[in-house]
Formats: sequence, C-alpha cells, structure tokens
Amino acid sequence: MQAQPQSQERSGAEILLDRLAAKLNRHALWDTLLLIVPPFGAAIYALLMLLRGTEMDSWAIGLIVILSVAAAMVATRFYYRLHTPNIPKVAQLADRQSGAKDHFLTLATLPSGNYPVSFITRLRRESSAFGNRIEIKRDFPYKIKRSAYGAMGASLIAVLLIQLIAPIVRGGARVAPVTARLHELADKMAAKPELKSLARKLEALAAKLEDPKASAQEKQQLAQELEKQIEEQEKREDTQENRNLLGEASGALEGGVEQQVASAKSSKEQEKGGAGIQSNLPQKGQGQSKENQGAGAGKGDSKTEAKSDLQQGNTGTPKPNEPAQQKNPQQGETADRNQTDPKQMNKEPTKEQAGKTQGGSKEGAGTQQASDQPPPQGVSPADRFYPSGEGKQSLQGAGYVTVQLPEEIAADGKFESRPGKDSKGGRSRLQVPVSNVPLPAHIPNAASEKQQLPIEYRGMIR
Amino acid sequence: MEGRLMQPEQFQQVFNRLEAEVQKVIVGHHDLIREILIAFFAGGHVLLEGVPGLGKTLLVKALTHALGMSFKRIQFTPDLMPSDIVGTEVLTDTSGRREFQFKKGPIFAHVVLADEINRATPKTQSAVLEAMEEKQVTVFGESHVLASPFIVLATQNPIELEGTYPLPEAQLDRFFFKLLVMPPAPPELREILKRTTGAEIPDAGRVLPDDNGDLVNAMKQLLRQVMIAPPIEDYVVRLVHATQSDGQNGAAAKTSVKQYIRFGSSPRGAQAIILGAKGNALVEGRVHVSYEDVEKITLPALRHRIILNFQAEAENITADQVIGEVMKQVPRQ
Repeated sequence: MQAQPQSQERSGAEILLDRLAAKLNRHALWDTLLLIVPPFGAAIYALLMLLRGTEMDSWAIGLIVILSVAAAMVATRFYYRLHTPNIPKVAQLADRQSGAKDHFLTLATLPSGNYPVSFITRLRRESSAFGNRIEIKRDFPYKIKRSAYGAMGASLIAVLLIQLIAPIVRGGARVAPVTARLHELADKMAAKPELKSLARKLEALAAKLEDPKASAQEKQQLAQELEKQIEEQEKREDTQENRNLLGEASGALEGGVEQQVASAKSSKEQEKGGAGIQSNLPQKGQGQSKENQGAGAGKGDSKTEAKSDLQQGNTGTPKPNEPAQQKNPQQGETADRNQTDPKQMNKEPTKEQAGKTQGGSKEGAGTQQASDQPPPQGVSPADRFYPSGEGKQSLQGAGYVTVQLPEEIAADGKFESRPGKDSKGGRSRLQVPVSNVPLPAHIPNAASEKQQLPIEYRGMIR
Repeated sequence: MEGRLMQPEQFQQVFNRLEAEVQKVIVGHHDLIREILIAFFAGGHVLLEGVPGLGKTLLVKALTHALGMSFKRIQFTPDLMPSDIVGTEVLTDTSGRREFQFKKGPIFAHVVLADEINRATPKTQSAVLEAMEEKQVTVFGESHVLASPFIVLATQNPIELEGTYPLPEAQLDRFFFKLLVMPPAPPELREILKRTTGAEIPDAGRVLPDDNGDLVNAMKQLLRQVMIAPPIEDYVVRLVHATQSDGQNGAAAKTSVKQYIRFGSSPRGAQAIILGAKGNALVEGRVHVSYEDVEKITLPALRHRIILNFQAEAENITADQVIGEVMKQVPRQ
C-alpha cells in the first residue's frame, strides 16, 4: 500500500483495502491457473503420447516434461503478474462498490507527508464509513471467467482427440525392430518359470540376429528351430496368458525374423558383388547417369548389383572380405527399412534408376579397360574430373568421389586401365590402378600405397 | 500550516452563503455562479460569453456586493486607451511644488468587470494582461501592486462581431475559466419577470465582513491544501495531453478529434483543472479531489485554450464538442 500517512495506526479502510487486494490476488491466481494449466497439461499429455511412440530415452522424456512444466510455471507467473490488480484498481473497485467518491483511491495512493494531518484523518474516517458498506465475501465473489471455461473445454477436446488419434498414428508410424521385440518378449517370458528356457533361446536368437558375422542361413535355421519349439510349448501350455505370450513370440519369429534374415541376406549378396559409386553429389536422376557413363560395356550381373547398391543408398567403401554390417552400418538400417516391404527389393528399377544403374555399372566396368598407352600430356582431363562447378557436366557440390569395384572384378587382379572407347582421340591413360579401394594383398601388382589415386585425380588434390 | 488552516466546513458554509445571496438576484445559472466563485477562490479570472441582456453585469455586481469588495466596471470601446485602465501620471501642484502623481485607473479594485472586452484594441487589451497575471501594473517604469484579492470578470458578445478585436490567445490563456451564459429556460424567465417587474427588486446581502481579506486568503489557502490522488493527477495530464496537436508533442495521444485542433491546451489548462477540481471538492464537503470533480471542471477550464483549425470551423465543430470527445476517449486509468 502506497499511503501510510504519518505514524498513525492503519484505519479500517486501509485494512479493508489490504484484505480486498489479497482476495483479488487469489482470484487472479485462480484465473491464471484455470487458464494456463489445462492447455499446458494437454500439451504435456500430447507430448508424452507422442514420445511414447519413439525410442527416446526416459531421461530425455523426463527432461522434456520438466521443461514443459517449467514453461507452464513461467507462463503462469507472467500471466498472474499481468493480471494481478494493482492498489489503485483495488481502491477503485472499493469506491465503486461502496459509492464513495474516490475516497479509497486517494487514501491508497496519496503520498504521505504532503497534506495536513486533519485532512488525512478526515479522509480515513470517511473511507471507513464507506468501507462498512462493503462485505468482501458477498460483494466480491469468485466467478470463473469465460476464458477459463474455454481453455478447459479446448484442452479436454484436445486430450480426447489425442487419445483417439495417437494409437492410429503410432500403429502406422512405428514398427519396432524385430530384435527389440524379441528382447521384449524374452523379458516377459523370463518372468514365467516354465518359459525360462525358451526366453533364453529367444535372447540368443536376438543376439544372433544382431550379430553381423552370423550367416543368414544360420539365423534362419535357428529361428525355425525356435519357432518349432515355441509351437510345441504352446500346445503343452495350460494357461491362456502363456499361450498368448508364446503366440506373440511365434508371430514375431514368423514375420519379423524371416524378413530380417532375408533382407540381411540380400544386402550381403549385394555387397559381395557390390559395385557402386558413392559421392555427396546431389541425386539428379538422368543427369547423374550421364555423368557416370564410363567407357566400355558393362556386364549384366554387375548392372544388377550396382542398381541394387544405388537403390540401397550404400555409403562408405567397405573392405571386400568383411561382412556387410561391419563395413557399413547404414546397410543394416537399409535392411531394416526394407523389412517393411521386402517385395520392393525385387521390383524392376524405374527408368531413372535404370539410368543411374547403367551409368554406375558402366563406370565400374569401364575401369577394367585400362590403357597400356603412355600417360596423356597436355590433354585436359575428362569432363567429370573438372573441379566442382566447372566443366561441361559439372560436378555440382562434389566434395569427393569414391569408386568401388565388384569383388569378382577386384579378385581378377585386372587393375590396370586399358584404352577406353570414349577416350577422346583415342588417347590412352596411364597404367595405374583405378580403384581407390585397397587392393587385396595377394595380388602381385598391388600398389604399395593403400589407396592409390588415379593420375587424373592427383592434380586436383592439394 | 495546520494551525492557521480554515476548516473545510467553514469554507463550505461561506461559499454556500455567497451562492445563496447571488441567487437572490440571479435566477438560475447555479453552475455559473459556483464556477465564478471557485475561480475567485482559486485566484483566477473569468471570461463570460453571452448575448446581451442575460444578466452578466448584474451577476458580477451581485457577487461583488455579496463579497463586500470594491468593484469597478470598465466598458471597453475601440477608443479606450491603456491609461484609461491602469491609470496615469498627472502633474499636480502640492504646496508650491509641481510633481507627477500616479492617478490609479479602474483596474485598482478587487473585482473588475471588463465589459465587452473584445471591443477594445489589442493594445488596450494587452494592458490588462500584466494586471491579470502579475497582479500589478507598471506605469512610467513604476510598478503598482493591485488590490488583493483581485479578479477580472470579462464579458464578450459572441454576436455583433463587426468592429471587434478577438482576444489574442495569450490573453485568453490567462482566464481561469471561460463560462457560457445561456438564455434562461421558461420557468427561469418567469421567475426573472416576477423578481424584476415587481415593486421590490431584491438585492444580494453582504456575506463577508468588512475586513474580509484574511478570510478570503484563508479560503484560498485551504483550497490549495485539498488532496488529490496521483492517478487523478495523471488523468488530468492525459486529458490535457490529448488536446495537443501532433506538432505540440501530442503525437502519443490518439484521439479522433485531433484533426480539428490547431493548438491544444497549455499547462495553465491543467493547473486550472486541478485547482478548479479542488474548489469543487471543497464545495461538496470533501477534502480530496475525485474524478467527477475533474470532469466537471474540464470544460470551462479548457474550452478557451483549444484553438480549432479551419476544418473544425468548416464543419461547425466547437471546442466543447472536441473536449467532450477527448473526455470520452481518455480513460480514467
């Protein structure tokens, strides 16, 4: 309260104003809570529902929830401070309610010491008389504002909608990895003494599936064996709960494991003969296929392999004799993605993909046709070797280009380039290994350096 | 301060008696009489505007009589000279010595009625300026203090504008209030006829004693002690600011009537509002100003301080309309 005239005791009017201010502050707090809490509650609920569908760590979810609650608290405080009635407003309400002529306003806001004591005493007396007309409980009851009703209603509707929509969204968007599902089922089964052995086997299978060194046949065989055991156990089981659990496990093995094994198998196959070109070039469809057109005719099988490699979006330059998943973790991811629709893998490539594939395979094949001619002198490099942004068919944004040969070609040991059909004016190229993939140690012509670059590239490296 | 202060009840009592005495002579015009008295106790001057025959001069005479103070009337005409108002030095012969002696003009009175002030030339009108503001006049380099209390009650006729000299803004600003004297309503006219056409013409009785200077000064001092809450002061500031044109640093206040204002109120306008509101509060038996007091006083305090532009004249917009709109648009808080 601003006015504390002289050293006199507080009058009834001033006490009344204090009580009224406290009451109105409580009203403002309720208004704030009713307006802020439901929407924030709904928002946090929605967030939790959405995050439940993800594989986010619980601590991260907790952090997000804590941040949301903190934001709600900040908003509440901010809104409350904005809507807390100040002393002049409280005094004006008291004036209006009691019919006083700004007695309370003057009393509450008057700076002390500037006016005669007799005037202030008189003002207090008159204000107290007016104050007797006010009964705070009766005259200032709490009423929920329309906006609060609106906020609560909207929040409730939002929660209901989330409740309805979330399962649909989650069901469609989220397909848990098979191994995670197997681990989950194994945990559940481990809780049942009669299913403990099966749980252990399920865990072992999950571990096997996660092991990139294990062969696909091995995985599939193990899965089939376990499936049989589960079916047998299911027949023996008396309790419905256990039967359900076993049914779930069986279903997971039937669908998910087979898919995973199949996709892993196919990706491994691709890897085996996996010729491909990987770069950070923007994928431009036809343009890229032109760009990649190398010299020489490609072999049919290498075309297919290169196609599937490009389709898979393989990255990195895996070592020839290492399993696919170790060489390139993204392949595993690709395999997972392919689980959802394994048929897609067998589909015919689109036109654009075909273009890319052809280019890629030609490139791969073209590298075999090395030249025995002396190195070119004073001849500009091929268009594709221009620095980024230059040349006829510029390599926009190219930072690096790696070339990976199919394994069988690499095994042939034909690493020397030959005169290319498309080499301009029949000019020959230097007899150098053209792959930047490390050469196998048993090849007699293997270069001493691990990744020898074609001479065309050397001028570009600074 | 506290010991010499008059009691608010005493102020109210004296004020009410003065009102009652004037109302014995003047029919109606309750607000007008009250506002003149408030201006008197606030130490201001009043410009009365009305057509002839509405009792302006009679009102001033009755008021003077009730106050028991000296009264002079100056009829302003185009050939009136400043010396006719303030006085002049005349050569006198006293005991064989000839010397200049100051002969006081009619301005040396407690209550001065400047009748039809807009008929005098600006030069003569400006002679009243110093008297109104400084409460003194200077003749041949010598200053002469005027009587205290001192009030100028000027009248002007809104019609018959030919041969008149509209008061300059500087002089208008020195009037505390500008009050409009309106024709009486039929019941009031009936009462006027009854009082003035009978055998006995009533006269205002004297309220204040002979030695009334101290009492009036005490009342003036009391008026200035009336309390005003800071939010109400802010309201007055916002009101005055809202009347100012954009060129006068009034750009922040957004009112739809600004398009009609050439010049807004000066700080004297805000002073007049607060002092007038304090007087009104005392008259109503309060020792503090309320928003209602302010709103009641704003119109007479500001109407002559706002200079309207050509657009307002073309659209027949009056200062009262502009102020009314400003009061509507400026919130109390």
